[in-house]
Amino acid sequence: MTSDVPLLSIADLHAGYDGVDVLHAVSLSMAAGEFVCVIGANTAGKSTLLRTVSGLVSARGSIRFEGQELVGRPAHRIPGLGIAHVPEGRHVFPDMSVDENVMLGAFSVRDAADLGRRREHVLEMFPRLRERLGQAAGTLSGGEQQMVAIGRALMLAPRLLLLDEPSHGLAPKVVDELHDTFLAISRSGTGILLVEQNTALALSVASRGYVLESGRIVLEGTSAELSGNDAVRSAYLGL
Amino acid sequence: MNRSTLLRGLGLAVLLAVAVATPFLLDPRGYAIRVVCLALLFAAMAQCWNIVAGLANQVSLGHAAFFGIGAYTSTLLLIHFGLSPWLGMLVGAVLGGIAAFLISLPTMRLKGHYFALATLAFGEVMRVIANSWSGLTGGPVGISVPFAPPSFAMMQFKETRPYYWLMLAALVVVTLVFVAIRRSKLGYRLRAIKENADAAEVIGVDTTRTKITAAVISGMLTACLGTLYAQFQFFFDPDTVFGVASISVRMAMIAIVGGIGTAAGPILGAFFVIPLEEFANDLFSSRAAGLSQLVFGVLLIGVILIEPRGFMALGSRIRRLFGKGGRP
Repeated sequence: MTSDVPLLSIADLHAGYDGVDVLHAVSLSMAAGEFVCVIGANTAGKSTLLRTVSGLVSARGSIRFEGQELVGRPAHRIPGLGIAHVPEGRHVFPDMSVDENVMLGAFSVRDAADLGRRREHVLEMFPRLRERLGQAAGTLSGGEQQMVAIGRALMLAPRLLLLDEPSHGLAPKVVDELHDTFLAISRSGTGILLVEQNTALALSVASRGYVLESGRIVLEGTSAELSGNDAVRSAYLGL
Repeated sequence: MNRSTLLRGLGLAVLLAVAVATPFLLDPRGYAIRVVCLALLFAAMAQCWNIVAGLANQVSLGHAAFFGIGAYTSTLLLIHFGLSPWLGMLVGAVLGGIAAFLISLPTMRLKGHYFALATLAFGEVMRVIANSWSGLTGGPVGISVPFAPPSFAMMQFKETRPYYWLMLAALVVVTLVFVAIRRSKLGYRLRAIKENADAAEVIGVDTTRTKITAAVISGMLTACLGTLYAQFQFFFDPDTVFGVASISVRMAMIAIVGGIGTAAGPILGAFFVIPLEEFANDLFSSRAAGLSQLVFGVLLIGVILIEPRGFMALGSRIRRLFGKGGRP
């Protein structure tokens, strides 16, 4: 694969529910292994953007992943391409054990040895899950459920990881742990598209960011540029 | 194999042996054995329903469609071509599977009440067709299975005992299929859909295809049971085998009362509901016919209000009450 093909390239994307558009002419691009965040207020369309990439929301326009067009593909075909989605609100399978949840993330993977290696990798990243492998995922704390959801996504060994509000509803200490987790995932070469209301967190981990307002991209830049931008500081960082 | 699975296997073996031996304790031409036969058959039917409703949470109220297709297919093939009901059952299973596939295409994207109502309508359409197409089905008058010299090949017997073992075998087979599906990849996909459809999609589960696969298996097995019913009763009409109350709702109710999504639930439910129904019919029919239906409505509402997970959950409740078992 040549490096000049972007990992993800979204152009003139319109998407929404029941004929009402939530996203208007959104364009976004990220390179392989890049860590990009999308910040914005509640209802700006951040989750819809990720759900559109995953095929859960129908769209007009273009979403290219490593050059392949995603618009029009059914949602269940997307993970096989190398895109993993951690949905908002964690969405583990509550009655299944931690191990079952994690393993389900990779049931398109055929090679058993490969599966074992990936599982080991996930459990190294989240040692706490190893202690709770047999426990029903629904009985875990919020932070642990988020680990399960992220672990499940990593089982795909994705080249693009979509993270939807991972810090939502978690204690500050747990958010700090997640912060380190994201950096570790990013260091391993996985491209991350992070959507966050916690702007400070997002800009501290991502290298670049986009600001989404009412379904439109209004600003983009490096995290340093955005952190220094007066509008971002007053609207999203409360400074 | 550890101790608890060994004990469990032993318990199941004893239970099965008792079940196989039970007919020797009952009058072979009596009433009780017929009630037990029906309970076994309905347990098997509820187990079929459980594959779709229990594992994927797609509550169907139209399973009578597959049951009736099975009953009519084998009976008509027997009448017109003298085909053994065993072969008729296979043809019925194929037709039942096709029907399940066709009804699933438009309805499987529906959830909850919408799915229940769509399947309810499908069952009713099949009933109306069977009633109106008199040339094929005999219409509302009903249809009789022609008597043949009793033999295994023609699935006809002088006594009730062989029917009992037939029903028992059907229940065992259907239950094994249910357990096998639950443990398979298909089972995990279905459970993932049940617990969270969107999360299932984003990890790559083709939710529509998975649900259709389960529905086709369920429809085929239900059709087979329709043949058993026809051979057991010798006479039926569209309102019985395609009935909403007599088949579709009863299948659902038995599984729900016993414990939806569990392997033992439909069996517990059937051995509670079917004898109770016979008893209530006997008790009320001379004084207030139809009152038994009211009893059922009240029963169902009661179970859902008190313990929506059915008898299976009551078991763990009792264990907890006495502080035994130690499971949280």
